[in-house]
Amino acid sequence: MSTPFIILIVFIIIVVLMYNSLVAKKNQVENIFASVDTQLKKRYDLIPNLVASVSKYMQHEKSILEDITKLRAEANKPNISDKEKIALDTKLSSALGSIMIAVENYPELKANENVLHLQHSLNEVEEQISAARRAYNQAVTDYNNALEQIPTNILANMMNYKQKDVFEISEHERKNVNVKELFN
Amino acid sequence: MKSVSELTDFYYKTLYPVLQKLEDERKVLRHRLIQVAIIYTLFTAFSLLVLIKLEIIEIDFLIFLGFAYVVGGGILYKYFTKDYTKAFKEKIIAPLVKELDKNLKYFPQMHIPEMSFTRSRLFTSRPDKVSGNDLIKGQIQGVALQLSDFHAQKKHKDSKGRTSWSTIFQGLFIVSDFNKDFKAKTVVLPDSAQSTFGDLVGNWLQSNNFSRNELVKMDNPDFEKEFVVYSSDQIEARYILTHTLMQRLLNYKKRSKHPLYISFVGGNIYMAIEYNKDLFEPSVFHSLLKYKIAMEYVDTLHLAISVVEELKLNQNLWSKL
Repeated sequence: MSTPFIILIVFIIIVVLMYNSLVAKKNQVENIFASVDTQLKKRYDLIPNLVASVSKYMQHEKSILEDITKLRAEANKPNISDKEKIALDTKLSSALGSIMIAVENYPELKANENVLHLQHSLNEVEEQISAARRAYNQAVTDYNNALEQIPTNILANMMNYKQKDVFEISEHERKNVNVKELFN
Repeated sequence: MKSVSELTDFYYKTLYPVLQKLEDERKVLRHRLIQVAIIYTLFTAFSLLVLIKLEIIEIDFLIFLGFAYVVGGGILYKYFTKDYTKAFKEKIIAPLVKELDKNLKYFPQMHIPEMSFTRSRLFTSRPDKVSGNDLIKGQIQGVALQLSDFHAQKKHKDSKGRTSWSTIFQGLFIVSDFNKDFKAKTVVLPDSAQSTFGDLVGNWLQSNNFSRNELVKMDNPDFEKEFVVYSSDQIEARYILTHTLMQRLLNYKKRSKHPLYISFVGGNIYMAIEYNKDLFEPSVFHSLLKYKIAMEYVDTLHLAISVVEELKLNQNLWSKL
């Protein structure tokens, strides 16, 4: 076998490996986003119940509750992009957070079993979402790195791969929401 | 739970009369052990001389003799210290355990079942022989906990048919309930590849470890530096390893000062702290009243049992309802 031929074979193998790793990274991102989406849906499903049980008592937080309902309606629209989903999630997280804190001011709510149960479920889903988000961010980081690093960037350019956005995790979310603390 | 200093107080105050009695026993025992060792060594040397005189000495035989000398010495040591060890465990370790938490039970002769060890997935090679002692079992703040000294060994046979044993793990093995429900298997190991080969090569080696599941890169740089995580589920691994838990594990690792292996399998957390020696054994050649010796018992015991508090395993139990 001639030397140029061997070089060509090695080159083809390298390109194939690079191509496969890029595809795997892209699929990993999509795969994990699907899980994030499932968890987000779970949380959206809890919202009508939550709004129904607290709105009677929460007169001062009416506008936040309306916002939450609106955000949920928006998220349920078909054909919204991943980017919009990410943005909606950030808004919803902070709105829900303020409701959870506001519950503190209503003794009736604190004693309400239904609300308590909802808080627990919400907290649980929140932790799942946070985990899924972190997994997604890592997958996106791996993917984005491949898009910028030599030599995969050349191939990624030819394949027309675009950089993806990560979820921004705010500082207060880095700490675990602890329902116990809310009730103490 | 009692703090380390409270426990040290207990060791030196409440246990003092017992310690002093044991200390007398220890001195007698040490004296006798030295005598036995001298006689034993002289006897071995004499046998060796006889063998040289008879000119039947071969290199293989010499190795065998050296081996027999060490094994025999070990057996003799065990035999002579048996009563002293028993008294030490009953009168010192057992009250210390009780003092830490009344709900704990102590079994000096038993150890964690082999099933728990293999189920933990912490070590990929299957042990051929397991031993151990000092099983401590009970509930701490409603969390089931058991731990013991554990030694897992693997048998090797070379081409000549000689068998040898290598240690898979020796140290403290802890099994406890975990406060979250999960299905995946997640393993957290000391990061040896990244610290030996650097980030680039180390990372590549880690992601190509075929005996393990998928590599999970964590978003806490300090944690990443200290540990490597493998899991069958990227999301669940992060559901278990929250930022808070990662920080707590780091703190625990710092406190233990020994390699720490952690896994999350079937609703349990498994922890293995590698000491490479048998723990909670009485000291024969150093005084039991020495601070350093005392701290070895008190600290290790406290570290093992405080795992529930340190990792806050008693919180968030609702998710398991």
